[in-house]
Amino acid sequence: MLQLVVAGLTVGSGYALVALGIHIILRATRAINFAQGEFVILGGLLAYGAVTWLHASVWLALALATLLGFVLGLAYERFVLRPAARVGELAVTIASVGTIYVLLYGHALVWGSLPQPLPYFSGVAEDVKWRVFGTEIAAQQAWVLGLLLLALVVLYAFFERTTYGKAVRAASDNPLGARLIGIDVDRARAISVAIAIALAAFGGTIIGPITLVGGAAGIGISIKGFVGGILGGLDSPVGCTLGGLVVGVVEKLLEGGAGYGIADPVVYSLLLVMLIVRPQGLFGTRRAVRD
Amino acid sequence: MNRDLRSEARILPIVALVVVAFGFFARGDANLMQAGTFAAIDAVAAIGLGVLLGNVAQISIGQAGFFGIGGYALAYLTTAVTWPASVPPWAQFFAGTLAGTVLAAAFGVLLGLIALRFKGHYLAMATLAFGLIATGVFRISSALGGASGLQNIPYAQLGSLSISGVAAFWYAWAMVALVAGLTFNLLRGRTGRAFEAIRNDELAAEAIGVPTRRFKIVAFTFAGALAGFAGSFYSSYLGLIEPTGVSVNFSVDLLLMVVLGGAGRISGAILGAAIVGLTNVYGHNLENWRPVIYGLLVIAIVIGFPRGLIGIVPRRRRAASPAIAPANGEVAAAPAMPLRTPVGSGDAPWLTVEHATKRFGGLVAVDDVSFTLESGKLTSLIGPNGAGKTTLFNAICGIGRVTSGRVLVAGRDVTTWQPHRIAELGVGRSFQNARLFADMTVLENVVAGAFRAETASLVSDLLALPASRRSGALALELAREALARLELEALADVRAGDLAFGDRRRVELARAMAARPGLLLVDEPAAGLNAGERRRLREDLLRLREGGMTLLLIEHDMRLVMDVSDRVMVLKFGKLIADGLPARVRDDPGVIAAYLGTAV
Repeated sequence: MLQLVVAGLTVGSGYALVALGIHIILRATRAINFAQGEFVILGGLLAYGAVTWLHASVWLALALATLLGFVLGLAYERFVLRPAARVGELAVTIASVGTIYVLLYGHALVWGSLPQPLPYFSGVAEDVKWRVFGTEIAAQQAWVLGLLLLALVVLYAFFERTTYGKAVRAASDNPLGARLIGIDVDRARAISVAIAIALAAFGGTIIGPITLVGGAAGIGISIKGFVGGILGGLDSPVGCTLGGLVVGVVEKLLEGGAGYGIADPVVYSLLLVMLIVRPQGLFGTRRAVRD
Repeated sequence: MNRDLRSEARILPIVALVVVAFGFFARGDANLMQAGTFAAIDAVAAIGLGVLLGNVAQISIGQAGFFGIGGYALAYLTTAVTWPASVPPWAQFFAGTLAGTVLAAAFGVLLGLIALRFKGHYLAMATLAFGLIATGVFRISSALGGASGLQNIPYAQLGSLSISGVAAFWYAWAMVALVAGLTFNLLRGRTGRAFEAIRNDELAAEAIGVPTRRFKIVAFTFAGALAGFAGSFYSSYLGLIEPTGVSVNFSVDLLLMVVLGGAGRISGAILGAAIVGLTNVYGHNLENWRPVIYGLLVIAIVIGFPRGLIGIVPRRRRAASPAIAPANGEVAAAPAMPLRTPVGSGDAPWLTVEHATKRFGGLVAVDDVSFTLESGKLTSLIGPNGAGKTTLFNAICGIGRVTSGRVLVAGRDVTTWQPHRIAELGVGRSFQNARLFADMTVLENVVAGAFRAETASLVSDLLALPASRRSGALALELAREALARLELEALADVRAGDLAFGDRRRVELARAMAARPGLLLVDEPAAGLNAGERRRLREDLLRLREGGMTLLLIEHDMRLVMDVSDRVMVLKFGKLIADGLPARVRDDPGVIAAYLGTAV
């Protein structure tokens, strides 16, 4: 049981990072990025590429994947989201769905359609396991939770403590007002999207050693991240994080208790139920839904 | 018929010819026949999604779920159910098709109900979840064969003819022809006009009497039914159905076909399905490149050609509508009366507001306002900015309910009614910011304004029954009458989004009065108009009043107000501070103080 919870928190960390990414992009561009999960997979595969092609250490691979994610995010905003937003809201949705195909089959062209393993962060072939309260915890699971925390701290510091982060937030919350006081709103949006995609790549790399990376998992990750966001409230970063973790735990408990095939439909049904009963999420405000 | 439908009427026969030629010349090539058949099956589902996306601006990334429901329904009925020997195989096939279509339609209603709660991205996510849930249920349901699905579905039989190979090609394209015809009828009728209004501006659609919620559900149901219809033949044709065949990828494929070909265009959906179907045959050695190219194409199309490939086909320039301008005097003489005279409105005043109060949090925008309008009179509601005038208007037409108090229209308590129901009683309104349907022509806007006078049912639209045509003719006649009365005939074919500001105002007035409302609410019509336009507006208002309409006018232009009003009411901080003849109100010290800010 506890084992399942820990496993759930680990995959849930991935969903939490997806939910946060969706939150950041939603706030900056008022659009939901359906391809967020694909960027998680792509990030993991970029790290895998760094390890296999460049013989980089996993830490260097993590840094490279995150950086490449940032750059890809800039490009994604500039060449897909921004022009689509000029056409309309539906266009953004459709363009980001189109991006799913480009990424999903694009990475299959490079890495094949089978998921690939990433090395453990402890630098050993067989992952170290500790026994805590009668439960086996793998070192990688501890790494994932630790690195999630690190990402949250960095994000918080950027958005709440730096002038630049505050400018980006201002541009998201009130574009016109931000423009009037001289903030470059387009650039702030691009930075937001880039951060969100970097976050996805970061997430893909840290959970990669456990889940393997590649294949067609991206859509599922997108939706489960979104479920987490809806659960916690898409306009609340704390809610997104907790929601993502909860979704991971629920998924693992269902898989452990009722079998593999049950978990996904139940989690997706949870999305519909939440959308109907409380679309603003547990921590969110009503405003988020109507915008 | 709007421009798109006129264009469809030209293109669809060409599409039919191409398909027939293809079927004739490729009949010997089994691969091509198969690709053509799959293209037809996809086209049926894509046409439904095209209506949803292009005509109603609602998205679904879960259409594969409906497709699967149809497919599994037929598969289950023809394999797992033991039929009595008296039921011939063809009857089983049609029972399966019918069951699949109806079941998918039922789930369409369900998704439509869910869709009412959301817009845009949230809706997209909800539909995506629906599709994934459907696939998940297919996969874990042992009655539906689990992950391996249902196999050995017999081919459909028509007498001694087995619908496979070349016969399946023709059958599938006959399905497309049927569905294209029904869709064309639907879009041409009252339903299509409701869709267009919703797509352009939901709030304005409600205000002219379109039950937007009902028509959104209709659209989801229609799209679901078509996907189910397509899916049922798919499983019969393929002989099996499995969860992976109706996964989220297929939902995305359908979306792609629609976007590629052109959303909201029947021929666009067919073109998109044909392109995808043919590249499946000729492009299978492209492997993963194919979906990558699809994805890039979708992004490029949605950004660069939002009307899709079919939108590139030039549309014939419209001939000037010759029948638009009947003799002026003749129309002006037409009796101005509400078409559907509200029950018992004979004695009841058109509008009574009783102790209306509207609070936004701690702010009291409308404070205990009561009044009754005299029928056939023009009453003006004036007051400084922020006095609560528009809030009161919104409460009257159901857009923002009062916190306490009552609103009675023609003697009926409409306090909690939805806007379209109030409009149906014979209430028209114009908006402060002229919410015209920007993509539609002036004539189409005003035709839409006559919506509440229309009588056609969904079925009569689908089947193009005479009732559907009569309904359209009536709306057109009313629209022309309204245009003539405001002398706007010359603008009939101009796109509303291209109108000058002053004309926009007047067209909105024409739209609001097209259905001959008994009560017309006009919100700041003179704002932004120049002197000449104001003179015309004054004439328009007087003409409407002479026609017997009861008018309530919000206006800041005092000269206009004093000139045209029978009665003036003054609102200040939500309270009615004066009410009476224009001259009396003008000299009221309280009113002067309200406007000039001096202490009383």
